[in-house]
Amino acid sequence: MELLQAIINGLLIGGVYAVISIGLTLVFGVMSIVNFAQAEFLMIGMYVGYYCWRAFGLDPILGSLIAFGVAFLIGVLIQRFLIERVIDAPEVAQIFLTVGLLIVLENLALVLFGSDFKSVRTGYQTSALAFSGLIIGVPYLFAFAVSGVVGILLWAFLRFTWMGQAMRATAQNGVAALSLGINIRRVRQVAFGLGVGLTALGGSVILPYYTASPTAGAQFVVLMFTVVVLGGLGSVLGAVFGGLVVGVIQSVSTLVMPIQLQNLALFVVFIAMLAVRPQGLLSTR
Amino acid sequence: MIRILLIAVLALGLAVLPWLLPAQGYALRVVCLVLLFAAMSQAWNIAAGLSGQISLGHAGFFGAGAYTSTLLLIHFNLSPWLGLIVAGLVGAALAALISLPTMKLKGHYFALATLAFGEAMRVIANSWTSVTGGPVGVSVPFAEPSLALMQFQSLRPYFYIMLAALIVTCIAFQRIRTSALGLRLRALKNHADAASSLGVDTAAAKLFASTVSGALIAMLGVLYAQFQFFFDPDTAFSLAGISIRIALIAIIGGVGTVSGPLLGALLILPIEEATNAYLSSHAAGLSQIVFGAILIAVVILQPRGLLHLWKSRRR
Repeated sequence: MELLQAIINGLLIGGVYAVISIGLTLVFGVMSIVNFAQAEFLMIGMYVGYYCWRAFGLDPILGSLIAFGVAFLIGVLIQRFLIERVIDAPEVAQIFLTVGLLIVLENLALVLFGSDFKSVRTGYQTSALAFSGLIIGVPYLFAFAVSGVVGILLWAFLRFTWMGQAMRATAQNGVAALSLGINIRRVRQVAFGLGVGLTALGGSVILPYYTASPTAGAQFVVLMFTVVVLGGLGSVLGAVFGGLVVGVIQSVSTLVMPIQLQNLALFVVFIAMLAVRPQGLLSTR
Repeated sequence: MIRILLIAVLALGLAVLPWLLPAQGYALRVVCLVLLFAAMSQAWNIAAGLSGQISLGHAGFFGAGAYTSTLLLIHFNLSPWLGLIVAGLVGAALAALISLPTMKLKGHYFALATLAFGEAMRVIANSWTSVTGGPVGVSVPFAEPSLALMQFQSLRPYFYIMLAALIVTCIAFQRIRTSALGLRLRALKNHADAASSLGVDTAAAKLFASTVSGALIAMLGVLYAQFQFFFDPDTAFSLAGISIRIALIAIIGGVGTVSGPLLGALLILPIEEATNAYLSSHAAGLSQIVFGAILIAVVILQPRGLLHLWKSRRR
């Protein structure tokens, strides 16, 4: 029973992990860039959600839409003015550009919002549903539901819209996409904006059970990379799978070891995964 | 002839420099840190600069070295000079250990794996409270100033220790770079598959470079501990403060060159200290924003470093 409860908790959290990590994998798929600053957009999303709640009393679940919009705009600008310049540069330049962004964004938040923890209060925050001995926290359920809806919307976007198809075409072969008249610079901007927007949306959605602080993003860096590497960098479906797996690993690991070592379990899984199957668990390669 | 004269003047200048500054002053402290970080960056450069395997986890070795010697000093009263040797062995062993799973990885994947290694070490140091003392950190036990315990009241002896450390790492870098091993590393950096098809044992070359690099940076961790007297897991194993910073220093100066880390450290640390001194009274974090902005500017303007910028201007 305890194990079943842990698995359910893990799946509920894992759904959110999937949404915040999809952006990372989307950006890598479209332009082969690993965005080390991706987790900082989770933190940005949290602050947008928090201030929307404080100023207008907006529920963080609705605030997540505004968080998405704000992060999308920032993302498009970053892609246009910074990342675009290193698209063809050596990997070391790409790595350190996004590492530099990580440092700037985290400390910008520190200067603007201060180092104290900020949390929201909602009516459903402490409520839970009970099913024959199993307890499901309502905020976790809401976050999971939103993640599911967002995942389906993203799937439909990539599948049916012109831009979504252009994005997949660019991911498969950028030069071919360009020669077919696709403006791949614009595709990259939308992809980056969409990617960081989804992460920010996830940040706002988890506000009812997570506090916002400038270092909130940093705590998710390795987690997000574990999610996408488990599913295979560049694969959106893989990120969903990876998110659920990581959620369950995290939640089940607390049954057998102290909570501080929860992240250590992740690091070990991550390094082992990179060593054994860097192409991801789902990949047939 | 001019070269020898220049070196003589430089050596003389460095020898008398600490006597021109107050023995316990802020200026000499910054100079010591410049030397230490130049040495750390050079140690990173041995693995990352020569083989092109960009590590974001060198804080893992650095912190392990700092903790090794300090804990040996606290519990067994072992002199930090001997601690230096033990720390070097620990650093080498850790580097060899982490090389096993990361050996085959390239580019982004290698950077990610090493980042996870450094963070894992930080989590271990924070949670293994019975050994490390946990998040509160450890202090080097205070003793009468003595050479045997590597503890001094004046900063001048530290200056010479740091200078010696920098010279040692520079010689190590230069010797490896110009050796047959250096050629092998350069070959695998340019094209790993081509190098191994020509008979280069890429695995052995990478393993050697990263072991030397890990050992050196762990030993520098000991100097850091003796210089700072106090540290905690989040500073000794810091991602931004150690791993990224030493990489940034090398990148700003020029990755894979012997003078890159020197130039980078001379530039970065004084800028950081100045922004800390002038800006942090207004808001914490501003100096880090400057630090990150420099990183972004350098990789966009000249990913090969300032040294290259200067050389290409002269041509």
